[in-house]
Amino acid sequence: MSDQLNDGKSGSTRRKMLSLIGGGAAASLAGCSAFLGDDDGNGNGNGNGNGNGNGNGNGNGNGDGTPTDDGYDGPSLDPTVHADKAQEAWETIQSNPDPDAQDVRNEAYVEIEEAVRDSAVMMNFMHTVGERFWYDYVDVPKYGALGPSFQQHNNTELTNDDTELNLINSTHAHIDPIESDDEASSTVITQLYEPIVNYPNGVPELNNKLIEGFELSDDQLTYTFNLKQGVQFHDGTEMTAQDVKYSWRRVVESPNSVRANFMLNSPDGVGAVHETDDEGNVVPDSLAVTVVDDYTLELEVRNPNPAVMDVLTYTAFSVIPEGLVGDVEGYEGDVSHGEFRREMARGTGPFQFDMFSLEDEFRATRFDDYHDDVADVEAVHYNIIEDTEAIFTYVIEENADIFGIPTQYYDPDKVDAEEDDRGRLVGTYGPLENDKTVNYLRVSELGVYYFAFNTRNVPIEVRQAFMYALNQQEFIDQVFAGRGVPAYSFTPPGIWPTGLDGYEQFVEEYPYSANETDLESAREVLEMGGYSEDEPFELTCTTYQSPAYQEAAGILRDKLAGSGISMELEEAQFGTLIQRGYDGDLEMYSLGWSWSWESVAYGHFGFEPKNTDTSGMPGENNGYYLDWQTELSENYSEE
Amino acid sequence: MSRWRYFLKRVALSVPVLFSVMTFLFIMLRLGPLSPVAARLGQNASGADVTRLREQLGLNDPLWQQYIDYVRDLMLFQGESWVVRAGQPIPEAIASVVPVTLWLGLWAIMLPLFIGIPLGFYAGLRPNTAGDYVASVSGILWLSMPNFWLAVMALAILRQADSGLFNWYTLGPNTQSIIGNPDFGFLTTTQLLGVIPVPTSFDVMAFATDIKLILPAALILGSASMAAELRIGRTAVLETVNSNYVEMAKAKGLKGRTIVWKHIFRNALVPLIPIITNEAFILIGGSVIIEYVFNLNGIGRLYFDALVQGDLPLAGSLVFLFTLVIIFLNIVQDLLYTIIDPRVSYQQ
Repeated sequence: MSDQLNDGKSGSTRRKMLSLIGGGAAASLAGCSAFLGDDDGNGNGNGNGNGNGNGNGNGNGNGDGTPTDDGYDGPSLDPTVHADKAQEAWETIQSNPDPDAQDVRNEAYVEIEEAVRDSAVMMNFMHTVGERFWYDYVDVPKYGALGPSFQQHNNTELTNDDTELNLINSTHAHIDPIESDDEASSTVITQLYEPIVNYPNGVPELNNKLIEGFELSDDQLTYTFNLKQGVQFHDGTEMTAQDVKYSWRRVVESPNSVRANFMLNSPDGVGAVHETDDEGNVVPDSLAVTVVDDYTLELEVRNPNPAVMDVLTYTAFSVIPEGLVGDVEGYEGDVSHGEFRREMARGTGPFQFDMFSLEDEFRATRFDDYHDDVADVEAVHYNIIEDTEAIFTYVIEENADIFGIPTQYYDPDKVDAEEDDRGRLVGTYGPLENDKTVNYLRVSELGVYYFAFNTRNVPIEVRQAFMYALNQQEFIDQVFAGRGVPAYSFTPPGIWPTGLDGYEQFVEEYPYSANETDLESAREVLEMGGYSEDEPFELTCTTYQSPAYQEAAGILRDKLAGSGISMELEEAQFGTLIQRGYDGDLEMYSLGWSWSWESVAYGHFGFEPKNTDTSGMPGENNGYYLDWQTELSENYSEE
Repeated sequence: MSRWRYFLKRVALSVPVLFSVMTFLFIMLRLGPLSPVAARLGQNASGADVTRLREQLGLNDPLWQQYIDYVRDLMLFQGESWVVRAGQPIPEAIASVVPVTLWLGLWAIMLPLFIGIPLGFYAGLRPNTAGDYVASVSGILWLSMPNFWLAVMALAILRQADSGLFNWYTLGPNTQSIIGNPDFGFLTTTQLLGVIPVPTSFDVMAFATDIKLILPAALILGSASMAAELRIGRTAVLETVNSNYVEMAKAKGLKGRTIVWKHIFRNALVPLIPIITNEAFILIGGSVIIEYVFNLNGIGRLYFDALVQGDLPLAGSLVFLFTLVIIFLNIVQDLLYTIIDPRVSYQQ
């Protein structure tokens, strides 16, 4: 899934994101993030669970620790060292898929983080924090690391006389699971449809939703799922293995699917066995999913992959009745796709479709034959609001039961909260403008905000100078009202491959003056690259349309002015920024990433230097727009 | 030239305008930096998905082919939205936002008409009195306050339900929220012969609720034109009052009331016509911010979203529609001139 860090609005509106701004931008539930500009006014946010690491760090100091002749003691300024290291590490990960090679892979993940940091191709400055507020007549389970879009509201209760839960959501164009790539649509789809496994309330612990359990063969390549019996779709028919197979076939075969790669790719997906034709399309019914009987299903994967079950929690793998839509070969379809994506729903979820008016509102009513805890509230209603002023007004009127507060109205001093056993802050916030004090939850998220560089256009000395100038804490306090955690790595501490100890060691070795502005070192490294106040390096920083990012970029520009970097700022629409990324037409740019399941690979695949080659985008490569392959020793030439 | 010939000529002349507008938009959105595919799929799109969506949207066809398809779809009002309403048929998308915009526009035009013009005439007939100064100064104040600021202030003030001054929510018909869309439930209709809607009942309370919902937004949207009408109305009246024929009428001993209504009023309306028709254009362009802040699901917002996300068919259809409306309004404006002022005619 990409996630848009969406401050509550636009962009695009529109894809799953951590939210910073608003507007309908597109962002994807799959990692992609457009941090829009209004924060998360809809009470979403993501969270960050607890680490799953097992290990011992293996850091090896600054870069590769070769001091240069002139006494510069920062990370090596030979860019090929880092690019080669990252390429090698990714290949190690790919060629060691066995479960018992977990330590080898974890070390390789850390090496990728080191290479990214030391060559400064990406300046990660903040891991995201989600905040949620709710009035005291609402009783809602706390959400976890992966964010509220995973939360089903069947356990949410209203203690006043209300029977309808009122929430705020961002714009989304459909409610078809296989098209879902944004937080707004997955928030709603989660109420209607269910995948076979899920993360309850977004807490990163797998839960068998539609299965009793599964067996994994000795060679780690065949998963056998035992489905629950008596699970009903909203039309009263029973869910069987045929339905699951059909739903997964839609993910890879339907022309409407936008997340086929989650089933086909490995290690950043399931890596299922399948055949493709000459044009690269999946051959119909070639996906290795076999129906053994009504309640037993087998799935074959190409190589062992510890993340398979995590990936299967993604919205796209939700189960719908066999043959409901005719967009895979061999099915006529009971309803047209246009009707299926906007005017009806037939899933196994706790709520059933009632009405959906695009960019206006969505409503679902309680499904009384739900196979799990039947919902307490009779209906759940989402008012779709993009503008922060409108969101805040709706909140103050007590029309929204659970909500977010836009940054311009947020006051950190009004928080009164304590840490719980998962490291979440729980307490109260207030008083609001209407004199009410509301409940408060703050969760560290699996998401990161960054500035990245296209290495073809920006040399390593300049990139490192930015790293020295960066003061993470200052950004967070000045630009994001304290709603974030300083980042020294891409991967958040919650899923750090070598555990929290490994993460702490990694932070200790951070070579660029964490949370301080070190202009002296910045100047020093710029001089080594031949840039000075009189002959500055000129570059343009392109940010997503977000006041926050513009402000952050402005802080960097002002700091580095006169040190040998002359920076221009420009803003681009999310879609435009992505397109320019594909074209390799960026120098420095802002984006974010958020994790849709707990997996380091789902994030690191974008750093493999060969996968960052923009000349192969958007066709064969899907890495970040770094053009890092230009610094591999096989391609690199000193100009 | 007869009125009809003139009218036909105007219609014929508008065809090249329509084409140039559509072509300009096509060039801007197809050859500019906006990418509907990137806007729809986001950062983590796989190459296969991108390729497939490009094919689906017809972006791989030669450009001339795309242009022809685009123009044909606009002419026939068909096609589907690419991004904003991904996959929704265009007529359906537009139909869903038209009622709100018309409702907003109707009140945004009516309110200034019935407030601005009377106030302007009042000030013009009593120049340099206290009343004149109050009307003129408040008009200038309204004119100088930007809409986006007014809108935010309106929300901040109206949502203070417990301020003790007044409670907007219980004033008149009860409302749940300041923001949001009217539901137009006040008119129940039945289909006569299966097609023609005939109103069967009218719910006064629901009607009042819908008016109340749109009132703050409409007042703010119309505020600038209200002030303009006030100022121009005042000037027009002053000019007319001092003209020779009014002197003549006075000399003949006509009553003040007759002079005002028969001689001054009609002549003073002439310079106001373009102001009033131009206001109709705010239905189209000026309401984006107001629709965002008051969370109204209207045309302005849809158009803005379509433009910035490279949603060519949707933006194109809307521009096509806007152009038609503007051309039509211009023609209506010309016809109005001839009705109000017989000295204006179609003769060269």
